[in-house]
Amino acid sequence: MSATSYGWLVLAFPVAGMLIISLGWRLLPGRLPGWIGTAAIFLAFLASIGALVDLLDHPEEERQLVDSAWTYAATADFSADLAILVDPLSVFMCLVVSGVSFLIHLYSVAYMGGDRGYARYFAYLNFFVFSMLLLVLAANFLILIIGWAFVGAASYLLISYWYQRETAVRAGIKAFVINVIGDVALVVATFLILDHVSSLDFLTVFEGADRAFGDNDGTLIAACLLLLVGAFAKSAQLPLHTWLPDAMEGPTPVSALIHAATMVTAGVYLIARMHPLFELAPTAADVGAIIGCATLLFAGTVALAVTDLKRVIAYSTISQIGYMVMGASIAAYGAGLFHLMTHAFFKALLFMAAGSVIGAMAGIQDMDRMGGFRRAMPFTFITFTVGALALAGFPLTAGFFSKDEIIAYAINRGDWYVALAMLGYVGAFLTAFYAFRMVFRVFLGEAVPEARELEQGHLAHGEPMNPMTGEPEDTDVGFPGPEHHVAERAWSMKAAMGPLALLSIVGGVVAIPGISDILEKFLEPTFEDSRFHDTAPTTGAEVWGLVAGGVISILGIGLAWWVYVREPGTATRLRERFAWLHRFLVNKWYFDELYEAMFVRPAATIGGFSRRVIETEFVQGTIVGGATGIVRVGTSVARAVQTGYLRLYALFLLLGVAALTLYFLITSS
Amino acid sequence: MTIHLSIVLFLPLACGLVAARLPGRAARSAVLAGPLAVLAYVIVMLVDFETGGGLQWVTNDEWISELGISYKLGVDGLNLFLIALTAIGWVACTFVAAFSVVDRPRQFFFHLALAETAVLGAFMAQDLALFIVFFDLMLVPFYFLIGGWGTGERVRATTKFVIYTLSGSLLMMAAAIALGVLATPDGGEISFALSDLANRPVAAGSQHWIVLLFALAFFVKAPLFPLHGWIPETYRSTSIPVLALLSGVLSKVGVYGFLRIVLPVMPDGAEYWQELFIILAVFSILYGSILAFSQDNVRLVLAYSSIAQLGFVVLGIFAFEEKGAQGALFQMLNHGLVTVPLFLILGVIAARARGSESLSELGGMAFRAPVLAGLFLVIALATLAMPGSSNFVGEILILFGAFENQLVYGLVAAVGVVLAAVYMIRLFQGTMHGRVGPAVESREIDRVNLAAIAPLVAVIVALGVYPHFVVDRTESDTSQAIAKTHAEVSVIK
Amino acid sequence: MSTLIAQIQAPHIDYKELSPLFALAGGSVIVLMVGLLRSRFVRTVAVPALTAVALFTAIGLTIWIWEPGNREPILEGALGVDTLSLGLSMLFYVAGLVTIVLSLRSTAAEQAGHGEYHSLLLGSIAGMVVLAGAESLMTLFIGFELLSIPLYVLCATHLHRRTSLEAGLKYLVVGSVGSATLLYGLALVYGATGALEFSEISRAIGTDAVSSSDPLLLTGIALCATGLAFKASVAPFHQWTPDVYQGAPTPITTFMAVATKAAAFAVFIRLFDHAFGLSQLDWGPALAVLAAVTIVIGNVGAIPQRSLKRMLAWSSVAQAGYMLAGVVVGTELGVRATAFYLAVYLLMNVAAFAVVIARERVSEHGDDLRSFENLFTISPWLAGAMTLAMLSLAGFPPTAGFIGKFYLIDASVGGDYTWLGIAIVIGSVISLVYYLRVIAVMFMGRYEVELPTIPPRRVRPVAGWSPEADARAQPEVLAVAVLFAALTIAVGVWPEPLFDAARDVSSALPGLH
Repeated sequence: MSATSYGWLVLAFPVAGMLIISLGWRLLPGRLPGWIGTAAIFLAFLASIGALVDLLDHPEEERQLVDSAWTYAATADFSADLAILVDPLSVFMCLVVSGVSFLIHLYSVAYMGGDRGYARYFAYLNFFVFSMLLLVLAANFLILIIGWAFVGAASYLLISYWYQRETAVRAGIKAFVINVIGDVALVVATFLILDHVSSLDFLTVFEGADRAFGDNDGTLIAACLLLLVGAFAKSAQLPLHTWLPDAMEGPTPVSALIHAATMVTAGVYLIARMHPLFELAPTAADVGAIIGCATLLFAGTVALAVTDLKRVIAYSTISQIGYMVMGASIAAYGAGLFHLMTHAFFKALLFMAAGSVIGAMAGIQDMDRMGGFRRAMPFTFITFTVGALALAGFPLTAGFFSKDEIIAYAINRGDWYVALAMLGYVGAFLTAFYAFRMVFRVFLGEAVPEARELEQGHLAHGEPMNPMTGEPEDTDVGFPGPEHHVAERAWSMKAAMGPLALLSIVGGVVAIPGISDILEKFLEPTFEDSRFHDTAPTTGAEVWGLVAGGVISILGIGLAWWVYVREPGTATRLRERFAWLHRFLVNKWYFDELYEAMFVRPAATIGGFSRRVIETEFVQGTIVGGATGIVRVGTSVARAVQTGYLRLYALFLLLGVAALTLYFLITSS
Repeated sequence: MTIHLSIVLFLPLACGLVAARLPGRAARSAVLAGPLAVLAYVIVMLVDFETGGGLQWVTNDEWISELGISYKLGVDGLNLFLIALTAIGWVACTFVAAFSVVDRPRQFFFHLALAETAVLGAFMAQDLALFIVFFDLMLVPFYFLIGGWGTGERVRATTKFVIYTLSGSLLMMAAAIALGVLATPDGGEISFALSDLANRPVAAGSQHWIVLLFALAFFVKAPLFPLHGWIPETYRSTSIPVLALLSGVLSKVGVYGFLRIVLPVMPDGAEYWQELFIILAVFSILYGSILAFSQDNVRLVLAYSSIAQLGFVVLGIFAFEEKGAQGALFQMLNHGLVTVPLFLILGVIAARARGSESLSELGGMAFRAPVLAGLFLVIALATLAMPGSSNFVGEILILFGAFENQLVYGLVAAVGVVLAAVYMIRLFQGTMHGRVGPAVESREIDRVNLAAIAPLVAVIVALGVYPHFVVDRTESDTSQAIAKTHAEVSVIK
Repeated sequence: MSTLIAQIQAPHIDYKELSPLFALAGGSVIVLMVGLLRSRFVRTVAVPALTAVALFTAIGLTIWIWEPGNREPILEGALGVDTLSLGLSMLFYVAGLVTIVLSLRSTAAEQAGHGEYHSLLLGSIAGMVVLAGAESLMTLFIGFELLSIPLYVLCATHLHRRTSLEAGLKYLVVGSVGSATLLYGLALVYGATGALEFSEISRAIGTDAVSSSDPLLLTGIALCATGLAFKASVAPFHQWTPDVYQGAPTPITTFMAVATKAAAFAVFIRLFDHAFGLSQLDWGPALAVLAAVTIVIGNVGAIPQRSLKRMLAWSSVAQAGYMLAGVVVGTELGVRATAFYLAVYLLMNVAAFAVVIARERVSEHGDDLRSFENLFTISPWLAGAMTLAMLSLAGFPPTAGFIGKFYLIDASVGGDYTWLGIAIVIGSVISLVYYLRVIAVMFMGRYEVELPTIPPRRVRPVAGWSPEADARAQPEVLAVAVLFAALTIAVGVWPEPLFDAARDVSSALPGLH
């Protein structure tokens, strides 16, 4: 079987899974839907491996295979097939996506065990995986946009999965709308490209790009910036990040899969995929780099203050993606994707562990109410710590290599990119700090009632409250599920977290400076046309970068230890000392409030205005009312004249005759 | 020269007349027979439609030689799928109505059948006067359907609807006659056959006002801002199956007229008004969308959303660009395909909320009605032109067409896409998600509605997977339709 | 002696051509005589029967002498017996027959005495025939009076109803004024052209003797127009119409509505498009303005009416406006359109009035809108007929009304009076308000029209214990209603025959472009 047929299989399995579950949900008993979904994704994973193996058989220059199923839509110069592009980049993405998805499915089988919408959950989840794979396999812009929008829809559905929670519903529509903004940006960008290159197929476009566009051509910059808008909307970069923290309303595995490991990194994939365009429009690329850098700092600071466990991880995701975007924008494609992969491992792991904790807390996510789970849930503790280490870039963990490689590239680019690198280090320090802020506050210190209860051997079953609205949760649709699950009690959750923990530690081996460059070599065919191809930093430089990164992360962890373990009161003192700063951070730099004031309220006002004024006054009043009014006046006149008195008739008669005669006399003379 | 189209055209009416004489049970089957037969016929047509073969199954007989009116019917890429839409829509709605309680059923179904004949006629007509005959005839059955079986201020509503629409189409009649007269060469026989009119160009000066009057009629029908005054009352007080057809199918007749009549016959006039009409279209998109998400009544949400949707169609047509026209035509079909089931679903919802149709009283229905929610979800996503749906293909073609020469207007219109997401998701969530509303007693969707809606959803999904089925068959004729118009690039670009 | 008689040059009389007139005149006399017999049978059966016979004979004879094309007038050029007059005469005959049928149970005929009633009817029809055929100013005026005077009487035949008498009186007064004006006009025209025969007049106009815009002539034309405008109830000379239509016995109203108008337009066509044809450029605009004004006033005036008869009166004013448009353009197409519309107009108005009669005889609300509430449930056939009539009057396809309007607009656009076409359209839009209201009342249950209601009256139901019984009680009225409603559809779907007739009619006038 050829790589492309494997590619089709990769898409086919999740679709099949989705269809089986969604159409047969009444018939499937117990946890069967979960297993079907998991199996489907596992098969997809195998298919990806098949594609990988087959691809490696091809010689380097023939590793970009396109295969089209049928014409999707074609008229005039607009022509797109339903086609997939199998090349190292897409295969790499397939492996990461299907692999992580498989583990998260496995985790969900148990974690969602008691949920009313079990089948629905897995149908959505399979649909998401399909969409994500479609996105990465797409061979032209149209299919890309389709996958792009599908993942958005899947994410929407899973965010408001517990659809009777007001907060979940609101978070859902927010995420959806912001994603649509991204889609529209992509559409416009696509037009600009089609208009000049008159093709939608990636390879053709990349071929013809440099002929169609001059260097740093205005249109191309516009197109690339629009692509970036799309990327930022998906990847929650400034200023389109506000939906991701709210997306935490979804079930935790969803946060792990969609809002950490896979979907949100699509932006990075897009930039990497479009690198020929971005390299033609360096200005746009620089904008990407700067925004990525800004985002990573911004998110890092917010993660310091927020106390909702999942939201902290969410902000850390935003910040980590900042690194990737920065990397991809400064042509460190390999590094960016490398970080994408490792991040997928450890961030998924963190969420899973967090989910386990939240399970133990009976759905409560506030860190202020957690503590001392170390003894109660050792497995969770270990895995969470591993994830945190990798996130903090602790020496020799996966995150350590990937993150620092990006920074090394930045330094290597020279001039002002060095500034980006420095800020990157600052971000790294913040990362290390907030990562272990979580560890220490959740697992060390005084054991909270739930923890002690768990040590006694039974799970807490509190009355779940919605932290946002403070109203009791409506558990009709399953929130948070009649029973809770912790990793310690469910082998499948363990089975999912174990491998990820391992990968979070050793995942770095695919690209260790001077030792292994498997990833680099493998991605070669996709990026060989890059003009920054041979500007990779020297091994020496990278090693120095690693050392610096390692030191910074240890410092960060140390500070966290000092603040939260050695001198427990410090945090509170700092908070009182810098109350304004704390307020500023806790309110996430007031972005939501800003948008509320800038878009939501004005829209509502305009709506009200047009409903009350334009509709009633103009459309009904002037146009309809005007016409009817004229007729009405005429009617009353005719009525007034029609008295029934002959004398009056005679009068009109005379007038009529007079007028008529007069007219004729005038015309005659 | 075939009789097929005449059969298709008058089958519904015949069945309606038969049904009007039969007793209850038998009447129902007779009522369903008409639309079903038409659907069967249309499917056959779809199968052996010859792509790019121009007019097919043409019927051309003299009707009123004195006035140069001929009974000329024909099908090509322009109307093929609109006829299909009509057939599907009528089957679905007649089906739902036939299995629900209707008082004076015989009359009701007679009018429904008459309406189908009229709409089919308007789509098939290849003679301007014949088109007008059916265009006006459509109003008669709908006048009775709205006034006789509506709710609330129904008589007011239906009177307003008819007068509003007819004032448009009568002016169009005057314009059409003028066109016919002016187009007649000295000593030549007057003829309203579109093929003749297309070869008898009229002085640009007279084209201007003639086109304006045509546009008036079509914009009222569509409707486009500011000629949508009849919308709120009509939508509020029309019974659901009728409304589904009114909004899903009838609204297309007008805009179809642009592609069939105005652009090929009066290109200069069309070009003259291009800028204005595009502005109207774009404004309608924004205005409709904004009103759609500030409405509380679910019907009005859809009412205003269709203003926006038809704004897109008009935008596509008046971009005078192949992609645009293509998309516009495709979007007519798509909008119909989603609107019909949407209204049926609203009916289902209202039935589960003690007839309440206000978003503030609805919500949380999905829990006990997952299938309903699922169907609604698919349709809602298609309506907001989710990529992967055929609506998206239609919309992207329209936008690309607009971008070509009217970049700025195109970009403004693109904002409408985002707004569409807002109001459709709002509608979906407001009914299906959130806390269970005070009025709601949720039940799963009933068999009848399921049987009516599921096939439509299947069609929507199928078109989403393979939209080229439509694009391919319509392409050559749409590009024909706009061939004579040359878009001059908007100054703003 | 005989030589002396031989000396007298009696005008050569062509009996064949005149035969329909003889039939009518003779019929009228016979009916009057027979009407004197006291037996009830004779009065209620024989008299109408004889009248009908007279009319059928006339119809038969008309068909016999029918011959398209321009033909020399007879009686020394006094009377034209061509397809124009014959064709329109057909309308008078049909209207007459309808009136007879509708009068069968009418109290009017009862009170006036059937003999007088019917013979007056025939007399009036004879007048119309003369009028339609008038080829000289003299015959024109004779026909005009012959048509009017019987009608004045007929209007007042509802002896016990004040309104009826009032109507008669009003009609008499206004009508006489109209005739006077007309006469004056005719005199002036004669003075200007020095000719009585239309053909000579048209020949005279434009010669250096009489310029086409000679003030004397034009004044004459103006006064003639006024006089005819009265009969055709063209604004601003329409005001008698509602009062008279409402007051007169409904069968007579029907007759006046359809026949009188046809007669008036016959003269309009002959006089203006034939005699004054050459100065069309002068009178065209004026009449066009009249037409437009009439259209607007008629439609606007009809809106606030609750009384169906009044409403139809106003609507007939509006319709007169539409038809005038066909005359204004002065083209052959215009004449055809007018003739065609006159026929269509007869169909739809007869249907409507028949339903009104059927209702007013059984309902305590008379011809008030209220007596039509839920008519569909009481008598679907009546309701159906009324609906078709209304749709046709409003100009919906596929009724004859639609084709007729189409034709008229076609004519006015063809004659460079596009704006008049637009006026017709706007008028139709306004007219929807009151036509649709009637349909709504019949079909859509009880709903209040925001108009003042007329207090109910006491009626002697024809046969009525139950509404259904009433509905069945008058088969002949129902039959007329249904027949004519069906015809509106038939003509709407297959108008060719009527078009051919219209073409023949127009062929009678020479020199039309």
